[in-house]
Formats: sequence, C-alpha cells, structure tokens
Amino acid sequence: MAGANIDLLLVGVSHRTAPVAVRERLAVEPDAVAAALAELTAIGPVREAAMLATCNRVELYVAVDDPDRAAAGLAEVLARRAGVAVGDLAEHLYQHRDAAALRHLFRVASSLDSLVVGEPQILGQTKQAYEAAVQHGTAGAVLRTCFEEGAFRVARRVRRETAIARNPVSVSSVAVDFARQVVGDFARRHVLIVGAGKMSELAARTLRTHGATLTVINRTRARAEELAKRFGADVADWNDLRGALIAADIVIASTGAQRPVLTLDLIKEVRKARRGRQLCLLDIGVPRDVDPAAGELADIYLFDIDALQHQASAHRAEREEEAAEAETVVEEELARFVKRWRSRQLGPMVSALQAHFQTIARAEVQRVSGGVDEKEKKARLDLVEGAIKKLLHLPMTALREADPDEVLSLVQAAQRLFSLSPVAAVPAEDAPAVNAEKKATGS
Amino acid sequence: MSTLTWHEVGAYAIAAFIYLAHLVGLRRSAVTGGQIMLGVGVALHFADIGVRCYHGTTPISSTPEAMSFAAFLVAGVYLLTSLRYKLTAAGAFAVPAVVALILLARLAPAEASVPTMGRLGQAHILLATLGVAVFAFAAVLAIVYLFQDRSLKRKQLDRAEAVGTPLETLDRLAHRCVSIGFPVFTLAIVTGAIWVARLGLLHGHGTLRPEYLIAVGTWIAFAVLIIARVGAGWRGRRAAWLTLGGFGGTALVVAAYFIRHAA
Repeated sequence: MAGANIDLLLVGVSHRTAPVAVRERLAVEPDAVAAALAELTAIGPVREAAMLATCNRVELYVAVDDPDRAAAGLAEVLARRAGVAVGDLAEHLYQHRDAAALRHLFRVASSLDSLVVGEPQILGQTKQAYEAAVQHGTAGAVLRTCFEEGAFRVARRVRRETAIARNPVSVSSVAVDFARQVVGDFARRHVLIVGAGKMSELAARTLRTHGATLTVINRTRARAEELAKRFGADVADWNDLRGALIAADIVIASTGAQRPVLTLDLIKEVRKARRGRQLCLLDIGVPRDVDPAAGELADIYLFDIDALQHQASAHRAEREEEAAEAETVVEEELARFVKRWRSRQLGPMVSALQAHFQTIARAEVQRVSGGVDEKEKKARLDLVEGAIKKLLHLPMTALREADPDEVLSLVQAAQRLFSLSPVAAVPAEDAPAVNAEKKATGS
Repeated sequence: MSTLTWHEVGAYAIAAFIYLAHLVGLRRSAVTGGQIMLGVGVALHFADIGVRCYHGTTPISSTPEAMSFAAFLVAGVYLLTSLRYKLTAAGAFAVPAVVALILLARLAPAEASVPTMGRLGQAHILLATLGVAVFAFAAVLAIVYLFQDRSLKRKQLDRAEAVGTPLETLDRLAHRCVSIGFPVFTLAIVTGAIWVARLGLLHGHGTLRPEYLIAVGTWIAFAVLIIARVGAGWRGRRAAWLTLGGFGGTALVVAAYFIRHAA
C-alpha cells in the first residue's frame, strides 16, 4: 500500500523494541503533555502531532511535509527527553511512514500490538492521546482523519467482530468471572479476604468496584488493618474465621501459609451453618490455602490457582487465534481508508480540472454568441458542457481506479498538462493552530 | 392444525434452534433473534388461543387445549423472565419443550371421552394447567442449575459462561416458581378431588386411580421441598433434583389423564 501519500509519520519505542529501563526514561507525566506536544510541533516539517505514552510504548504520530527531516528531529527530541545520545536510542526506535504508519496505529488501537493482546486499556489511552492533541491545538485534519475515521473505527470493529477481548487473561479477572457465575451480581455481596497476598488484592479491588463489601482477615491483625485501609474494607478477628466464612459469599484466600488454613472440617462446619447458600472459594495462594477436598462438597465451589491459570492460558490462546481474524479486519479497513483518502486527494484536482474546462467553454460560447438570444446561448453552453463532461469521464475514472503507486504521478501530470495549481487534500480551515503560528513566524 | 398454529410452531421452532445453537457455541448476537422469534411465537399463540375461544374452544375445554395453553404460559413466562435475567441456556430447554407440547397437543387424536366439566371441573383444569406450567418452568431452571453446577465443579468457565445464568439466580428463580406453583397446584388437587368425587370417578374400577396417587405424591414432594428449604436450608443441587422429581410427577399425572381420555 505504498504511495497512499498520507503524510503520516510515526516514530516511537515499545515493549517490543526497548526494555523498561529505556521506556521509563521516555515516560511523560500528564501535566507535561502540552509542553511535549509544543516541542514536537516546533520541529520545522511537523504540521500536526499526537503522543501516545503508556507504560509499554511512547509513540509520536505526526503529519509532516518532509518525513526524513521530521524523523531526525523527532529522534532528537526523544533522545533529549531520555537524556541519552541519539545514537544510543536509535537501536530502540522504529519509524513507519504513510500507510505503514497508519497500519501500525490501527493495530495499536485494536490492541494487536499490546503485550497482552486484546487488553482493553489501549483504546482509551489512544483516545486520550488524540484528545490531548486536539485540546492543545496540535491535531488537524490528517490526525483527525487517521484517529477518528481510522483507528477508533477499526478498534470498534475488531472488538465487535472478533472475540479478541471477550475473555479475561489475568488470573484475578478469571477468578472474578468464576465468582460471577456462582453468585451473580456483586452488589452488596460479602467478600472475605483471607491473608494479604498481592493476587487477592487485585481480585478484591475488582469486586469492590462492582459494589461488593469487603472484609479482611489475617493472623496478624495489624497487617489486615493496613490492607483494609487501602480497600476501605472491614477487619475481622482471626479467631472469628468461622463466623466470617459463614457470612461471606465469596472468599479470596492467599495467606502464604504452608498448610491449608481452610481445612475440610472447617469448611464442612461452615457449609452446615450456611444452610445451603452457595459459597465461592477462590484459592490463589501457593501453597494452597483451602483443602482441595472441600471442592467436592455440595454448594461449595472451589477454584484454585491451577484452575484459574489454566483458564487464563486457554483464553490467551483463544485471543491469539482471534488476532489473525483481527489482522484481516485491520487490512480491510486500511484499504478502505486509503481509498477514501485518495478520493479526497483527487476531489480538489477533479474540481479544478472541471472548472478549468468550463471556464474555457464559457469564454468560447460567449465569443461566438454575439447577437443570439439568451435561450440559444444557454443551449450552446449546455451542449459544450455536456461534451466536456463526456470527454473528462474516462480520464477521471482512470484516475480514480489507478494503482496507488501511480495516482500521485498521474495527478501531477494532469496538473502540469493543464496548468492547474497544486491543491491540498486537507482543507485549509482544518489545519491546526500550530501551522498558523508557524506561518506567522516563518518557521 | 390450522395455518396460524403452523406459523406459531414455526416461530417457536426457529427460536428453539437459535437457543440450542447458542448453547453449543453460536455467537451471542443471535440470541436477540431468538428472543424476537419467541416473541412472534407467543403473539401468534395468543392469537391462536383467541381464535379458538371465539369458536367456542377454551383453553380448559380439553386436555390438548390445556396442554397448548400450558405451553403458551411457559413460553410467555420464559420470555418475560429472560428480559430481566440472562436465561439463554434455559431457552434451549424451555422453547423446544414448548414446541413438543404444542405438537403433542395438536397432533394427538381427539379425546374419546371428555368428563362433564361444570364450574368445578373447569376450575380444576385451569388451576392444574397453571400449576403444571409454573412447575415446568421451575424444572427447566433446575436442569440449567444442574448443568451450571457441573460446569463449575469441573472448573469449566467457558461452559458456565455459555449457560450464562449464575447458580444463585437459578436457585432463587426456581424456588420462586415452586412457591407460586405450590398453592396453585394445591388448589388444583383439592378442586380435582371434589370434582371427581362428585362425578363418582374417584374409584374407577373399585380401586383408586394411579394418577391420583401420583398427584398426591407430587404435592408431597413440593411440600417437602418448600418446608426443607425454610427449615433445613435445602437449596442448590438437592432442591434442583427434588424440583425435577416433582415436575416428573406432574408430567406423569398429565400423561396418565391424557392417555386415559384419548383411549
């Protein structure tokens, strides 16, 4: 798809090309985005700029007049921000131009280039990056078209038409999904956190956001209180473990104890007191905190770390399969986008050509129509204009259907043959504020 | 069967196919189509019942009519409940059952002997039909519960998500159905007993007819289920099995009655 002539340049680093030590040096705080964008648009050939900065990537999307000079300028900016020499950063940098840059943007927004394929955050981050560029006046027609009509549309279609993001791939998310199949809605459900492991923290946070009430119980009460403070949870006394289990709907266990804390006898006792209420036990501790035999009891649903990891791996494999389908969507959308872009480029040229011929026709009709009445004059004009339309039809069709690599040279040839002034694909009123400033300062 | 009946069966059959296909992995978006077709089926069924009433055949005038009416109730209750709860898997059991029930009612030979109805008889048939429909829906929920329970015990999240309804919701809905169906069924038994006693049919050939015993057994099963839930916390799998057993009893009573009067 070379020769689409989109004027888009991408320069960046990601988890694929740079270690975290490099990425963290390029990190941009939210309140520093405006300054960073201003720095980018100060580079001569850069007309528009957006910056996508996440923990896994820092990418600069810019609309440019001279890609080589712009790429060198962007590399310098990144190196300066990282506090390293341009040469040291070069091995981690990648750059794409034109349709290749657009393809990369589409893949990023669709989460095909993410560390965890299908993760949902990247689309939001891409939107934020674009909105920041709009807010700070560095996004114009090129970026608006590429992001709004391209990237966001592709990402939505990928999510709608493939199962790339349907199933969770993290252990904590899988645990939450299992719990949902047992108890349903989490609102006003009681979640008991036994122990204070990192994994239980993630699952508990998710449940909390869905309206569950949390209680933390730990052998060391101070540790439980510390954790409870972070979650806004209650604290139960370790001696009341049985009572807390009876009251709970979901239990997340991760204690670090060497033997099961929730023994079979304890669970049997609790089950009896619960009078048939279903209990979901999420055992994410290693060694396990719940006696595996408890899972055999009626109304007790036990999911240990192996079950959760197995399910997460299965989902990851499914996502990889779905990624192939998503790549097809990206290619389809890229082709559609490029076609539309070309027709936009051709539009002004076609209008100019038609106007050129019509001006000549009107002048000639005027010249030979001395002394004829208005009706006759109009009939002559209609005749000539009709002939012009027919004459232009074939060359215009050929232009529209031309190979992408050819189209630019054909347009240029037409402009030269008929002495038409070059016309931009982007309307002047869509150019960002930064260009006006540049024109004013002559940079 | 009338053209209207064929159309209603067709709409139900398409809905049943969509729900079954969903259960074996068809995409979720198709389920809306299932709901629409079920809605069409219910609407046509309602019109069918209306036309029959207009021609003097009410839903309680014979066993086949009552069966068709019970199918209508099951479909309608399922449709309404599925708008509030995610019950796609239940549709894969409920809607095919509705199709089977209508076909059985409409294609079975006409009843050879219809006992004298009277108001008591009509009340009995109406209450029994309502009770059977509600228990049938409870039984569908119980089946789905057992499927879901099995998937979760085997840690098969994808299957559990394909079923889609949380265990707790299924248990609660099934209990609600039994709680509603039980008093209706009790009244059906009482009115039925008085009705057949008046007709002198209680002891058909000198012995108590088996369907009456099954009906009483069924009533006891549901009574035990309700009392045990309140008193001893019987829920979940045990309650699901008992609900299925109870519904099996009601189905046997209907079948015995149907066969006896068709003979």
